[in-house]
Amino acid sequence: MSPVVIAQLIVIGFTFFMLLNSAAILVYMERKVAAFVQQRYGPYLVGPKGLLQPLADIIKLVMKEELRPKAADAFLFYLAPIISAAAAFSAFAVVPWGGDTDFSTLARLLFLDRIFGFKGLEHPIHLAVADVNVGLLVIFSITAMGVYGIVLAGWSSNSKYSLLGALRASAQMISYEISYGLSFAGVIMLAGSLSLVDIVNSQQGYWFGFIPKWYIFLQPIGFFIFLTAGVAETNRAPFDFPEAEQELVAGYHTEYSSMSFAMFFLAEYVNMVTVSAVATDLFLGGWHGPFPLPDGFGWIWFLAKVFVLLFFYIWMRWTLPRYRYDQLMEFGWKWLLPAAVLNLLLSAYVALRVNGW
Amino acid sequence: MDAWIFWILAAGAVTSSVLVIGQRNPMRSVLLLILSFMSLAGLYVLLGSPFAAVIQIIIYAGAIMVLFLFVVMLLNVPTEETPVGRAARLLGGAGPRRFGAVISALLALELFWAIGRLDLFSLPASDAPATTVHDIGIRLFKDYAFAFEATSALILVAMVGAVILARKEPR
Amino acid sequence: MSLPEPTLNSYLMLSAVLFAIGTAGVFLRRNIITILLSVEVMLNAVNLTFIAVDRFRGQVDGQIIVFFVITVAAAEAAVGLAIVIALFRHKEMLTPDAFTSLKW
Repeated sequence: MSPVVIAQLIVIGFTFFMLLNSAAILVYMERKVAAFVQQRYGPYLVGPKGLLQPLADIIKLVMKEELRPKAADAFLFYLAPIISAAAAFSAFAVVPWGGDTDFSTLARLLFLDRIFGFKGLEHPIHLAVADVNVGLLVIFSITAMGVYGIVLAGWSSNSKYSLLGALRASAQMISYEISYGLSFAGVIMLAGSLSLVDIVNSQQGYWFGFIPKWYIFLQPIGFFIFLTAGVAETNRAPFDFPEAEQELVAGYHTEYSSMSFAMFFLAEYVNMVTVSAVATDLFLGGWHGPFPLPDGFGWIWFLAKVFVLLFFYIWMRWTLPRYRYDQLMEFGWKWLLPAAVLNLLLSAYVALRVNGW
Repeated sequence: MDAWIFWILAAGAVTSSVLVIGQRNPMRSVLLLILSFMSLAGLYVLLGSPFAAVIQIIIYAGAIMVLFLFVVMLLNVPTEETPVGRAARLLGGAGPRRFGAVISALLALELFWAIGRLDLFSLPASDAPATTVHDIGIRLFKDYAFAFEATSALILVAMVGAVILARKEPR
Repeated sequence: MSLPEPTLNSYLMLSAVLFAIGTAGVFLRRNIITILLSVEVMLNAVNLTFIAVDRFRGQVDGQIIVFFVITVAAAEAAVGLAIVIALFRHKEMLTPDAFTSLKW
């Protein structure tokens, strides 16, 4: 097993591990931010400043009794959260979170060259699980697969509320998928490639020496459409009618308890992280920051940007009122989709003029 | 390695397709068809067409099958009753079923015979360069531009038609 | 143990098998939705043929045709399911044998 293969496996394991951790961190972050928005303290008893609260939550969820309605189709009932969680994790597989690195700085920092004689790899590897040349479409397709988790959850619970919630949630998700896809078509035109690593690498450099060449400056409308559609895709913030507690009991996951319920929420948080990560890679320059860090540490910038977007997600949830379902669908089809199409046409026109039509 | 992947995916596609037509519960048929689409998408990747594979999953498995699932769930489609007794055996079943089964078997035999008469053409291995989206884009918008526009008109007509056909009749 | 390397013929045989399975489904099933699903199986078999021959000849045209086939299949599924809904609203059954009169 050559060192490159071992390094790749470590990167894959590390990515998976960090995704799980990020879900736990998001649980804590959500409760704390919600608390401060609502002018109260939030969790502060468990651990210093309440930092061990997610651990308490997980232990509680694991200890709960696993229920299943008798008339529910057992196979589909348990398959649905698995599909949701699997789709959420798989979508992150093609998202790169750092630049190419051969780990030489890391080896020197951790004294690995003195202890093990490891001075870095022969050729640099991407800090991503996979770099596919149609990477952006792969993310889109796996997100489309996530709809099935919700649909099957609603159907197999064999209850009216769950079925209604599931149908509404899946109709919402497939409606906003179109605007989601059209919004990154502009970025693809600018970058000339579908691979996320290429898109981030084409955002290197600065204009006038200090403005970074991120696509948010070239495609501001595209960025906002992408984030709005992303929020609607993950059933969050103002678009979370399908899981609204006040409206439908709890929508498609009414009948789930304990670990299956935890799977759905894990899937939701990981989907949030994926949308933020893809937005960072496409529009915010990924791991390129205002000033360059030593080789292999670009992921710090990536982490900071993803953190800002996640904060924005949570902030929106606790500040904005919820859209009613018909308002939501009207917005998606009558406002967001034409905006995305106009954005695409405008970008195409500008790109052609700049390239000398 | 290629050979293993091909045979596993082919077995998956054939098994799930047979189960699609064999299941009585339409919900399960739809889910098995999605599985079949995934196997075929894998085969497309093996054949060096990653774009076609991803398009298959996004459109076929991600949108068309959701439409099928919606209709199955909304209509609460009952599971089909199998005929009991002597007519229960597929190939020995009454009239049309036996006719249909024999015709399909004949079709399969004919196709096998026709393909068997071809020489064995070998394909480039799966690590030969795959087709890029750039090539597809150039061909699609230059040579097939008319077909592209006609297809968009077709989809518009289909959308309007579907809405009208499924509408409740005004009383 | 090494399996035989797949040639163009293996892909074409696989496509023939899938097409025959789809045809069998159309003939043998008595539920309109399953018949539509079998038609989708047949369309997939055809797509596989196009892409396999494409790879053999080194062209891109087959993939473009697949693109159009998938689009047309989407349109056909939408209209077909709309018809199914309209039929179901009239009679509460989905067997094709029930709809034998030209006018209701």
